[in-house]
Amino acid sequence: MRVSDPNGHGARVIVIGAGPAGLTAARELARQGLSPVVLEQSGIVGGLARTETYRGFHFDMGGHRFFTKVEEVEKIWHDVLGEELRRRPRLSRIYYRGRFFKYPLKPLDALAGLGVREAARVMLSYVWWQIFPHEREDTFEEWVTNRFGQRLFEVFFKSYTEKVWGIPCSTLRAEWAAQRIKDLSLRSAIVSMFLKPQTTIKTLIEEFDYPRFGPGMMWRSVAEEIRKVGGSVRLSSEVIAIRGAGRRIEGVVISTDGHEELVTGDHFLSSMPVSVLVQRLSPPPPPQVLEAALRLIYRDFLTVCLIVDAAVLFPDNWIYVHSPEVKVGRVQNFKNWSPDMVPDPGKTSLGLEYFCNEGDALWCMPDAELIRLGTEELERIGLTRGAAVLDGCVFRVPKAYPVYDAHYRESLATIRAFVDDFENLQTIGRNGLHRYDNQDHAMVTGLLAVRNLTLGERHDLWNVNTDPEYHEVVGVEGRESEALAAMEGRLAEIFPRVDGVALGIGAGAVSGALLSLATLILVLKGTALIGPYFNLFGQFLPGYSVTVRGSALGLAYGFTGGFVAGWGFAVLRNVSLFLSFAVLRRRAQLGLLKRLFEFI
Amino acid sequence: MVRNDKELEAVILVRAVRLNAIIAGLVTGLMAGFALFVATNWLVLKGGAVVGPHLLLLNQFFLGYRVTFRGSLIGFAWAFCLGFAAGFAIVRIYNALVGLRPSGTAGPT
Repeated sequence: MRVSDPNGHGARVIVIGAGPAGLTAARELARQGLSPVVLEQSGIVGGLARTETYRGFHFDMGGHRFFTKVEEVEKIWHDVLGEELRRRPRLSRIYYRGRFFKYPLKPLDALAGLGVREAARVMLSYVWWQIFPHEREDTFEEWVTNRFGQRLFEVFFKSYTEKVWGIPCSTLRAEWAAQRIKDLSLRSAIVSMFLKPQTTIKTLIEEFDYPRFGPGMMWRSVAEEIRKVGGSVRLSSEVIAIRGAGRRIEGVVISTDGHEELVTGDHFLSSMPVSVLVQRLSPPPPPQVLEAALRLIYRDFLTVCLIVDAAVLFPDNWIYVHSPEVKVGRVQNFKNWSPDMVPDPGKTSLGLEYFCNEGDALWCMPDAELIRLGTEELERIGLTRGAAVLDGCVFRVPKAYPVYDAHYRESLATIRAFVDDFENLQTIGRNGLHRYDNQDHAMVTGLLAVRNLTLGERHDLWNVNTDPEYHEVVGVEGRESEALAAMEGRLAEIFPRVDGVALGIGAGAVSGALLSLATLILVLKGTALIGPYFNLFGQFLPGYSVTVRGSALGLAYGFTGGFVAGWGFAVLRNVSLFLSFAVLRRRAQLGLLKRLFEFI
Repeated sequence: MVRNDKELEAVILVRAVRLNAIIAGLVTGLMAGFALFVATNWLVLKGGAVVGPHLLLLNQFFLGYRVTFRGSLIGFAWAFCLGFAAGFAIVRIYNALVGLRPSGTAGPT
């Protein structure tokens, strides 16, 4: 994208969307002396990371842990929240077929949970798919099956993934997983051999940072900062039209309480869904762009919030519900995220997340019915322990997840080519870029967009977080990467096999030469002293004696013995290397499995 | 340079490692020298009427070697030289043969 005013001094910047990307961008603009105008469709800031409130209870829409490997983002969180950002312990489990499985998976716990027969099927299936994998890994099903086997996929991934995405795993693209799960795990595991145990791959599984009153607290504070320095954050202001002229955007029409208003600007940063953006452009874009926009699809969810009359229900922050017999996909226990999320310590607030599509039966179900459904399902999976559900409410989150289906890449490329042609428009955030990013990467796109605008830098926002490294691998990852980079050349030198025949010939030649030479020396010097002892070799080497003929035989015997020793050494070394390699692979795959569970 | 797991696997399973002849020579030389040094001094410390009559036979090959502390130093030098030569020669022959193989080699370690 070209920026007509690289310095942006005095420019009026319109930011569409008050989510993490939009507010981070606006905050940065404000810090640089500009007065951004943020337009937010809903009546609350935070976007997909907002915190809703009902009767003093706070409900995080989706559960947002604050972890990142982007230092700048970490700094913003701490600068804004200070002491209000607390380190919290983390516990989560998987519910499947009436049992809870510890997460991270413990082999014995998983085996006990699955039962001997099912565990055996999982193991056999794993072996089978290791030997006969799918040749291509286009879909999520193929991606997981190739790594963990069909049976484990069916047990732990299929039902939950299809609950979340609403489409069969056989049509979900593999990028969905590959985008955020580091898959070059064998190399990492090899590096871990050379690093101290405390610096091996480690994830933020055990704890995370979290604002006292949920992520909305963060975004309310940022909005306040923006307002204090002269910017504005206008809520309940839906952008209903975007007016373009040639390759520039001139303004947006917003609707506030039924009143329409034209808001003009010099630069526009949009975190609204990019498919909606192009559909609201005036004049409309070419038909192929509109068609591409209509092909981009999203997954929505709703949270049934229940207030339960119990001080403690279960210790998890959240539970993945894989069982297909209930519709709920995930259960959040907000009190375990932060005790301040609940105004009364004698009560517990739960969030039952139902993944659905806007307009489908679940989405349209009346709140009272949803609360009843949630209560029943909670009892069915045994989480209420007989405690009474006192109250409840429902929050709907449209366009929560951009879907990576079979057509998205092509459609997005068409839209991107069109949008990038505008000189004064940048799209940011999860929905602005149609990328399944977390909060921190959404913030990064906001920061980089501002740098493009004010500093004339040329960051490609569409490629933020395309590196297939899952960002939960933190802390030591930088060190690991450095170590890996330093070792890459050496790996190729250390790990290849030793050629057994070549080493055998080398060792044989030297042994034969030594025995032959020693024999000849004795022949020349006389055999009075040592000759009898050397002749003892004849006990093992038929025909050998301390003679010239014996030295020739010694050459042959020495060569044979040396060859066997050298070849045997090479074979043993190669076998041990192969076994180490196999162990490393298993370890690497276990790490990958853990991260995959973390990811879904 | 290894860029991904598959490439790494190919390197590990297909290619043959090249060895460093000097390092191999040093390792075998030090091992041989140290072994003779320890063996000699072990017998010296044990003592007795006749000290190490069989080990003494090595002086047929290692000039100046005796089963004494001074002899152990001389023996260390001789054994080191012989071990170094043997290790060095084995690896040079190995590398030369590996270089003739069509599967190629990895760099020296």
